[in-house]
Amino acid sequence: MLEARLERASVLKKLLDAIKELVTDANFDCTDSGIALQAMDNSHVALVALLLRAQGFDHYRCDHSHSLGLSVKTLASIVKTAGNDDSLTIKSEEDGDVLNLIFASPDDKRVSEFDLKLMDIDAERLGIPETDYDAIIKLSSAEFARICRDLLILNESVTIDCQKEHIKFTAAGDTGSGSIKLMPGSSVDDERDEKDEKDKKKLSVPTQITTKQAVVLTFSLKYLASFAKATPLSETVTLMMSTDTPLVVEFKVDEVGYIRYYLAPKIDDA
Amino acid sequence: MSVAVKKRKSAKLDDQPSFTKELERLHQLGANVENYEDTWARQSLPSIDPATHPIVFQQIEIEECVAQYPPNLPNPFQVKEASSIRIYGVTPDGHSVLCNVHGFLPYIYVPAPRGFKDQDAMKCDYIRGLDTTIGPSKQSPGPTILSVKCVKRSTIYGYHGEEKALFLQAYKNGFTAGATVGRVVCDPTYESNLAYPLRFMIDLEIQGASWLEIPAGSYTARPQSEKTSTCQLEVDLHYEKIIAHQPEGEWSKIAPLRILSFDIECSGRKGVFPDAKIDPVIQIANMVTVQGESTPFVRNVLTLKQCANIVGTHTMCFETEVELLKKWREFVEAVDPDIIIGYNINGFDFPYLLDRAEALDVVEFPHLGRLISSTTRAKDSRFSSKAHGTRDMKTINLEGRLQMDVLMIMQRDYKLRSYTLNSVCAHFLGEQKEDVHYSIISDLQNGNDETRRRLAIYCLKDAYLPQRLLDKLMCVINYMEMARVTGVPFNYLLTRGQQIKVVSQLYRKAKTEDLVIPCLEVEQADDQYEGATVIEPTKGFYQVPIATLDFTSLYPSIIMAHNLCYSTYIDTDARAAALNLEKDKDYHITPNQKKFLLPSVRKGLLPTILEDLLGARKRAKNDLKKETDPFKRAVLDGRQLALKLSANSVYGFTGATIGKLPLLELSAAVTAFGRELIENTKQCVQEKYTIANGYEHDAEVIYGDTDSVMVKFGVATVEEAMKLGKEAADFVTTHFIKPINLDFEKVYFPYLLINKKRYAGLYWTKPTDYDKMDAKGIETVRRDSCRLVSTVIETCLRKILVDRDVSAAEEYTKGVISDLLQNKVDLSNLVISKALGKAEYAAKQAHNELAERMRKRDAGSAPALGDRVSYVIVKGTKDAAAYEKAEDPIYVLENNIPIDTKYYLENQLSKPLMRIFEPILGPKSSSLLSGDHTRTISVAAPTIGGLMKFAVKTATCLGCKTPLRPGESAVCVHCKPRTNELYRRQLDSVTDLEGRFARLWTQCQRCQGSLHQDVICTSQDCPIFYMRKKVQKDMKDSVTTLDRFHYDW
Repeated sequence: MLEARLERASVLKKLLDAIKELVTDANFDCTDSGIALQAMDNSHVALVALLLRAQGFDHYRCDHSHSLGLSVKTLASIVKTAGNDDSLTIKSEEDGDVLNLIFASPDDKRVSEFDLKLMDIDAERLGIPETDYDAIIKLSSAEFARICRDLLILNESVTIDCQKEHIKFTAAGDTGSGSIKLMPGSSVDDERDEKDEKDKKKLSVPTQITTKQAVVLTFSLKYLASFAKATPLSETVTLMMSTDTPLVVEFKVDEVGYIRYYLAPKIDDA
Repeated sequence: MSVAVKKRKSAKLDDQPSFTKELERLHQLGANVENYEDTWARQSLPSIDPATHPIVFQQIEIEECVAQYPPNLPNPFQVKEASSIRIYGVTPDGHSVLCNVHGFLPYIYVPAPRGFKDQDAMKCDYIRGLDTTIGPSKQSPGPTILSVKCVKRSTIYGYHGEEKALFLQAYKNGFTAGATVGRVVCDPTYESNLAYPLRFMIDLEIQGASWLEIPAGSYTARPQSEKTSTCQLEVDLHYEKIIAHQPEGEWSKIAPLRILSFDIECSGRKGVFPDAKIDPVIQIANMVTVQGESTPFVRNVLTLKQCANIVGTHTMCFETEVELLKKWREFVEAVDPDIIIGYNINGFDFPYLLDRAEALDVVEFPHLGRLISSTTRAKDSRFSSKAHGTRDMKTINLEGRLQMDVLMIMQRDYKLRSYTLNSVCAHFLGEQKEDVHYSIISDLQNGNDETRRRLAIYCLKDAYLPQRLLDKLMCVINYMEMARVTGVPFNYLLTRGQQIKVVSQLYRKAKTEDLVIPCLEVEQADDQYEGATVIEPTKGFYQVPIATLDFTSLYPSIIMAHNLCYSTYIDTDARAAALNLEKDKDYHITPNQKKFLLPSVRKGLLPTILEDLLGARKRAKNDLKKETDPFKRAVLDGRQLALKLSANSVYGFTGATIGKLPLLELSAAVTAFGRELIENTKQCVQEKYTIANGYEHDAEVIYGDTDSVMVKFGVATVEEAMKLGKEAADFVTTHFIKPINLDFEKVYFPYLLINKKRYAGLYWTKPTDYDKMDAKGIETVRRDSCRLVSTVIETCLRKILVDRDVSAAEEYTKGVISDLLQNKVDLSNLVISKALGKAEYAAKQAHNELAERMRKRDAGSAPALGDRVSYVIVKGTKDAAAYEKAEDPIYVLENNIPIDTKYYLENQLSKPLMRIFEPILGPKSSSLLSGDHTRTISVAAPTIGGLMKFAVKTATCLGCKTPLRPGESAVCVHCKPRTNELYRRQLDSVTDLEGRFARLWTQCQRCQGSLHQDVICTSQDCPIFYMRKKVQKDMKDSVTTLDRFHYDW
């Protein structure tokens, strides 16, 4: 029996939005410590790991560990129906074949209830072992999203060059090339248009770079751009890189958990 | 394919004797021979006295050449060298003959200029002008136009009155000119684009592959020293002496032609397709059969390096390749085959041998034809035909020998999923064949005598199978009959399209009526005329018998009934007025407002040709009924088929816009009449069979297409429907002009009408039992979807139509969908194949893109233009196009790449399934695709791909699938009590898989003919191969899982 209540359904909404493009069906592993998801995207180039800690919920009860196979697409559509301030309660019975979702408005005047049929998904559980990364970069998530968007104009892949004193994103395609360089501590607000008042605050997050040694790697921009869909979850994003290992893009969700994306570097001759 | 058929097939596979046993059997059948090489040559020729001995032979090839004019023959133009004809043939005793025919000059017709008089013929400026424009040809210097005759002819193209016009018949030397002359001199010239050998055959009334006789005293035989060929007998004669026998009665027999079937093996390097410049030819296997006999009398294999003995087979071993090649050429010359066959010999074997001989500098090798002076070469050519598509091929000149590449025959005549020898044999002979990947061939060659023996057996089998296919499908007989019926040379049938056959008949007929055929400039016109009509179908699932009324040979009978022809067409009102023609007395107007003469004024050529063809077919069918001899029956059956096909191609010929003689007004008239007929039939039936007229029900025409109408008479039994059907057909026929004939053919019951050109039903021709299940336009017959679709659709239809159990069909479909989502469906069922067409498409296509990718991976094994590419759709990113997701099935299997099951469900299965179930279930049908059975899925993890190098698998509990904590190896704490049960389950699964794998492995061993050797076959067409590979992998995984329990003890 699983029973969990989230004060704000919007957290789950944002989380699902961040993964629904990569994962269509997945097992949500429920344990007494929280709900976790780990899945590869369809083309097996990227891996998504999601964790919602038990402490993050208002109320969390899980009698014994089990997995909920769900269609992410349908789940996302259901959660989308929730109002911004609605609370969400999810329930699943021991031997039931549905996941029960209840949305309630803050004043409990409006309660909507959904049952989503569970799927039996036979998939292998894959994980990327924790490693010591050569370079860890922390930057504004909006900035990261913007870099991806801007460079996608030129090419489908981006080269990330991380040095001690700066990080540089370069894309070169048939039509031209472009690069964006960030220095630690730099805040980019003066370059922004006035209309993006809201972004301004987010963009003022200073960039932090911690390097053991310089790393230069190339990645598919298409994937990075879809990782950037998680931007609403957090103001900052952490990139972790080492030569010849997958890149980790991590968004921390305040007090609740995190969402991590792993992406293998492109190899030149492939 | 139905489950029942599948079972039968696999049972057959088990019983199938290995090929070694087959060779033994052949050996016991044949005489015991001491020296194999003695059996090669033809019987020696008895001495022949030209004065008393006539020569009778069946001609197999007629070709043009320029030859010295023999001094003893009449020579009106005093030419030294002239265009002449070579005829190759075989006598009834099996001796090969070459006839050098002299004195026949090619000619063209040009309309005479105004005021032209007979006597000026040769002097006239016009002719001189003609002569200089054509110019002396390279082969024959001197004046091109040798003589001009004035003749009265009229053009076939449109009616111009009974009066004939003056034409000049200009004889020329050298046959190269052709169509180009026409455009330069005047437009149009007549009969100038007819190939010289065909002209010769038409004028002498020689049919294709027919018998010829040269009377005693009319020829000279060449002594050995003056022979130009390796034929046993070579003679010279004047063309007028030849007697052509029409292929009827006694002369419908077939000479004992020698057929050589061969196959070569070459050893490639790893990962590269053999290249003739580097990789040696290591084996050549040969089978020689006399046409009409069931066993090959020569079976041998030439091998490089020693090879262990094979029973019943002559094994010749050589230390060097040069010796091997030389010996093979000697062998070909000695055996002197009339027909050379093989699988893809034109595309691979011949060019490879020729290139290899060149690389090794074996100068004597490329003389494989019968002409001593000619060097055999492979030339690139491209064959393009509307009916057969475009494909690249190589032309190899083997003078006097016919080539029948069985691959080409298959591609032309049969629509198959795959054209590899293996799948073709599986289809026609019901046998799977071991398919050794070329990279393994080198290993076998570099092994010992035994491994080379194994390879030799494989090679022999590949040489034997084309022969068996040819026999089974009776290709030689059918093609020969086609040549005889249409009057074209045998080799045209494989190298040319449909049109030439009609051309040949048209010229023959036109000649008898003093009509000449213009050489029209080919125009790329995209005029479209209205095609056949389709009565809007009343869709639904009919649980009552539906009678089908068909027009027999609709288009030919329309042409005959309405006297439609080039020569009866009146192009304008003005012309009709000028010729004093009256409507309905002299001509009639077609539904598309065109005017054609009535037969009372002039009978058209096309109707006459068709009458001849259909009359001959009727005769052949009657003879067929009486005939008891199986060989003669085969000939007659082949003939009636050829006659039917040729009759049907006449209509197409008139409508081919890039054809030789298009007359769209005529083809449009044919379809217009066709539409009228269908509409009339509908009206007729619906007016007569009504309750008002005393019938039980009102009849309803629910559907009609081109030449058939489906009628619901409303009666409940097949018998009644048949009775009414017959009656209606006869009744309606009386309303039409002869020979248009509506025939009752069959009853469909039950009948599922899905849409235009899409329907299925049980096919009844007798009231007691149904004949078969018939499906049109439904995915069972289409090749561009995967086998899963056709299996599912076929099974569903069977359950719905035969068993009348719709819910069983639903259950079955759900089961398949569920299997698909859980990855339990065999990969071979998911393979889609498409022919690799033109090299460049505007839009990217899956198979083209994949072929490109495969070329990058391994240039050698990548598909070439015209090949069918097999692929499966694998998972990709969300917005990836289908072409990015196509992947080679073997690659998928090897790397465990997950299949895009959603694609198969949504893009392949859903539409055809919905089409079937919607008329039956209505809106409920969509639950088939999204019900509970779709909620169990399985996602495979590939072994390649960017991230897979880094990822580690986390073990999950075998009971509830939660990730395990450290210390747990099989089940989680929660499931611990179930350990015993889960262990048993896993053990069962392993045992089951092991059993399956063992069975499949033995199956493959049987197929390769030895239970003691490893299986090396990688045949992509064999469902067993995919099954074996998949089970092997599953078993490995399952065993690994089972091992996890061991920590528990």
